[in-house]
Amino acid sequence: MPKFALPGLLVAVFIAAPLLSTHSFVHHLLIMVLFSTLLGLSWNLLGGFAGQVSFGHSAFLGVGAYTTLLFYLKLGLSPWLGLVAGGALAMVVAVPIGLICFRLRGPYFSLATLAVAEIIRLVALNWEELTAGPQGLIITHLPALSLFGQTVNWESKLPFYYLIALLALLGMGLTHLVARSRLGAYLLAVREDLESAEAVGIDTVLTRVLALALSAMLVGLAGGFYGLYFRYIDPDAVFSVALSVEMVFIAVVGGIATTAGPIVGAIVLVSISETFRSQFQSGHLIFYGLFMMLVIRYLPDGIWGRVRLALKQVRER
Amino acid sequence: MEMFLQSLVSGVLTGTLYAMIAVGLTIVFGVMRIINMAHGEMVMLGMFGAYWSYSLLHLDPFLSLLLWMPAMFAFGMVVYRFLLRKIIPGGELNSLLYTAGLSLLIANLALLLWTGDYRNINLSYGMLPARPFGISVSVPLAIAFALAMVITTLLSLFLSRTDTGRAIRATAQNPEAAALMGIEVGRIDMITFGLGTALAGASGVLLAPSLYLYPTVGEILIVKCFVIVVLGGLGSIPGAIAGGVLLGLVESLGSVYISVAYKDGIGFVLFLLVLLFRPKGLFGVGRS
Repeated sequence: MPKFALPGLLVAVFIAAPLLSTHSFVHHLLIMVLFSTLLGLSWNLLGGFAGQVSFGHSAFLGVGAYTTLLFYLKLGLSPWLGLVAGGALAMVVAVPIGLICFRLRGPYFSLATLAVAEIIRLVALNWEELTAGPQGLIITHLPALSLFGQTVNWESKLPFYYLIALLALLGMGLTHLVARSRLGAYLLAVREDLESAEAVGIDTVLTRVLALALSAMLVGLAGGFYGLYFRYIDPDAVFSVALSVEMVFIAVVGGIATTAGPIVGAIVLVSISETFRSQFQSGHLIFYGLFMMLVIRYLPDGIWGRVRLALKQVRER
Repeated sequence: MEMFLQSLVSGVLTGTLYAMIAVGLTIVFGVMRIINMAHGEMVMLGMFGAYWSYSLLHLDPFLSLLLWMPAMFAFGMVVYRFLLRKIIPGGELNSLLYTAGLSLLIANLALLLWTGDYRNINLSYGMLPARPFGISVSVPLAIAFALAMVITTLLSLFLSRTDTGRAIRATAQNPEAAALMGIEVGRIDMITFGLGTALAGASGVLLAPSLYLYPTVGEILIVKCFVIVVLGGLGSIPGAIAGGVLLGLVESLGSVYISVAYKDGIGFVLFLLVLLFRPKGLFGVGRS
């Protein structure tokens, strides 16, 4: 297979997918799948490749969302620049957090990330001059923007779809690059055996901080997108533990340390949540929990990880 | 001065109950090396147990402890035997994620069954004025405190005086050596998980008359629990008790002297500081 066939196909599918239907609910579902994919990809960079289970990734999502909206509402900066700024700021915030939390290992690291995210949520709730506290931030309209000579219609879902598709592709590209790079190899070494990794001269703290920063950048971008798409954010929504757990779910169910796994995880997540949300509220969370347990028990490599293994066995036969 | 004494007393009372929850978490960690993310849900189940036996059978919540503590012990053993046993050899992170899934499952099943309404238990003696030495003390909280002391004392007697208790401590120290000495480690694991769950359930029953109860209350409790066991050193029972009382004091003094809004934040900051500078806990007895 030529080298660019698979990515090319993926791009084509991403471009064509929303054109199959004019229904805006279908577009919304596609947007949610790609948004979840981006979250899963980002968590996977750190949790999958480096084996550092974070329960606090919503901290970076919140930082991205608040940066994007505040830059627009308070400084009048274009939301598109704000989105990039959100990703960048999430990355910057990740460095000190990483330097602190990576002094801890395994479950201790997980607990520390949970605490950090809760501290940030409390600050966002109480720093009312900046964040408007529990009231949250609302965008009433987005600035006009023209692309290829046409004004973008923000009431339609399509522009948002293509934006998140672009971000998801960025995330997959980054994951692919990391997986094949020296950094990826270092991360695997850290995951498998921290002491040995250190013994062969890998700066394990730097490696993990780098992975966290890249991961935070992706979640920060996703956060900016969240703010613009839903046009409303508040601390309990964007800094919630539930969101962090969703990210874990997507990556674990899809397949840890894979590039395509998060898409599978995202499809499972969105299907579950859309099927059950209308029937009984928060019913989808029952199935999140159940699925997570079943996957860890029976498919520890995740759904995509298992499929990939099966494909490999077929090819070798 | 009176305000100081008042918050000191209420800090110690709530802290002791926190401590009891944390002891459950810490003995499970000590023996099995897993952090049970669903521990808060076990407390929630205890609370709802007390609520239902009170509202349906008019059973006094403190009396219903005799019913719910054994029930939760059995429930814990079942959970271990049928859900957890196969997961634990897969490593710490797997069981962390697995119990996180279990916690979502239990909390949201409860939400489905019992809705998210806030409930409370109004005891006839709940509003009695009790002001020893001019400090006002809530009667249900005082009873809960006394019972928590009794249960914790009984637990430590069980661990130090009985064969099963010694076997549990031996397994916590070194599972391989314990197995070589003829201890059935699998059975000990199951009993320990049952004990941890029973402690969580019992603290839920004791807390029920003093707190509002709703299905997702476990979320807040488990986070507090993490703070406590890290303060005291994971795996250490005296550490968990000291950590619980400490957190109770920090919260009640902090909300009076610093700010109510950041009350929970103080606990987290303390938690991070301890994790960073004394990863074995304040008393250096935990396992890092």
